[in-house]
Amino acid sequence: MMPAISVAGLTRRYRGQLALDDVTFDVQGASITGLLGRNGAGKTTLLRILAGHEFASAGSVAVLGASPVRDETVLRRIVFVREDQTYPDVRVRHVLRAASWFYPNWSQELAEAMVADFALPPGRRIKKLSRGMRSAVGIVIGLAARAEVTLFDEPYAGLDAVARQLFYQRLVADLAEHPRTVLLSTHLIDEAAGLMDRVVVIDRGRVVLEAAAADLRGGPQSLQQIVVGAAGGAMHVARERISA
Amino acid sequence: MNTNSWVKVARYHLVDRLTFTVVPWIVLTFDFLITIAVTDAIGPVKHPQAQSGAVFAIYVFFLVIGAISVFRSLPFALAIGVSRRAYYAGTALLALALAAVDGLALAMLQVIERATNGWGVTLHFFRIPYVLNGPWYLTWLTSFVLLALAFVYGMWFGLVYRRWNLIGLLAFTAAQIIVLAGGAALTTVTHAWSTVGHFFTTLSVVGLTGLLAALAAVLLAGGYTTIRHVTV
Repeated sequence: MMPAISVAGLTRRYRGQLALDDVTFDVQGASITGLLGRNGAGKTTLLRILAGHEFASAGSVAVLGASPVRDETVLRRIVFVREDQTYPDVRVRHVLRAASWFYPNWSQELAEAMVADFALPPGRRIKKLSRGMRSAVGIVIGLAARAEVTLFDEPYAGLDAVARQLFYQRLVADLAEHPRTVLLSTHLIDEAAGLMDRVVVIDRGRVVLEAAAADLRGGPQSLQQIVVGAAGGAMHVARERISA
Repeated sequence: MNTNSWVKVARYHLVDRLTFTVVPWIVLTFDFLITIAVTDAIGPVKHPQAQSGAVFAIYVFFLVIGAISVFRSLPFALAIGVSRRAYYAGTALLALALAAVDGLALAMLQVIERATNGWGVTLHFFRIPYVLNGPWYLTWLTSFVLLALAFVYGMWFGLVYRRWNLIGLLAFTAAQIIVLAGGAALTTVTHAWSTVGHFFTTLSVVGLTGLLAALAAVLLAGGYTTIRHVTV
């Protein structure tokens, strides 16, 4: 079966700095894959390349079998929710309405329910929203779009614990009814661990762990400890530098 | 080619419709009221046909909203699955539609200006000698081309800023100055100023409009080349 996302030998350099280094992994359809790693590990760069917002220096990516750079039709099947998303200077309801035009599977019912969940004021300008509320707008779009591939990059910056739980519940419930591929980048590893089917851990631009989440959850360590351990090489070097 | 996507992108811009439809006319109305007050104060005797040129404010404003349209709305458009090509085509489509509607309004205002003897004070606000001074349909055509040109030029500036930030914007502006200065130097060296002068003095308004349309097409192509490299 064709993977929903296929990344092969992906490399991205910025003026001599390596953001992604020969990254290779596949994501099969209808699953939630956690993309985990420390700050600056390369997660956002990877997601931006998958969404066609950024270009690879080398290697290839395919989403639903097509390159997001060469085949623009695949872009209509992707929604990308970014932590640092900037919006036009309009009201919440305008942003949601505009997003609905581009997704054939858009669920207005779900969007309205989530707007109520997060107590979003539809008539307020986006720039007047708090950070958490802006994140909530992104989450509403990400789920209501029901795109075949949903990319979440730290989608809940500024959201409180209750709102995050609402997001998790909505995500699980909606995916049960409308299965699709979700790639979720997060730092809240243990909190989101229960959602994930697979885990890809990136450290300093390289994939250091790729496994089924169920295999990792069975052991004595928490998922967070495993991820920290997988990225331990970098931390070990840092500790040695400090002690020296 | 997916024209349906282009229309959706144009609609997407118009979610912020005040900026595109109302604000240019607020600017022009303010501009007009000041000009008419000044002209009235000076009096029609001293300046029987007061030439204003202040109508160009709307063209400058189109350049600004061209830049703003790209800068403000591109990142979210790409996040909701719009391709660069569809975004660019849809924004250009919006530019053409706005230029057609606003150009027609400018032509109609020119007709009224003529009929009222320059708003009663012999003001030539909507009439610019040679460029916008013909029959209404010619004014419409020239205004349409000028407004579209300004918007498209603004879009290119917005894209350059989005791609290369302030340094890129400065380099882009400097490159245009160098090209113009190079052209002027070449004309001087080849003693061709009289030929250039003759070309422009014998050029009809229709010819000038055609030239501006060709320039708009070049700018449109330049912007398209840039957006293909833009990252957000």
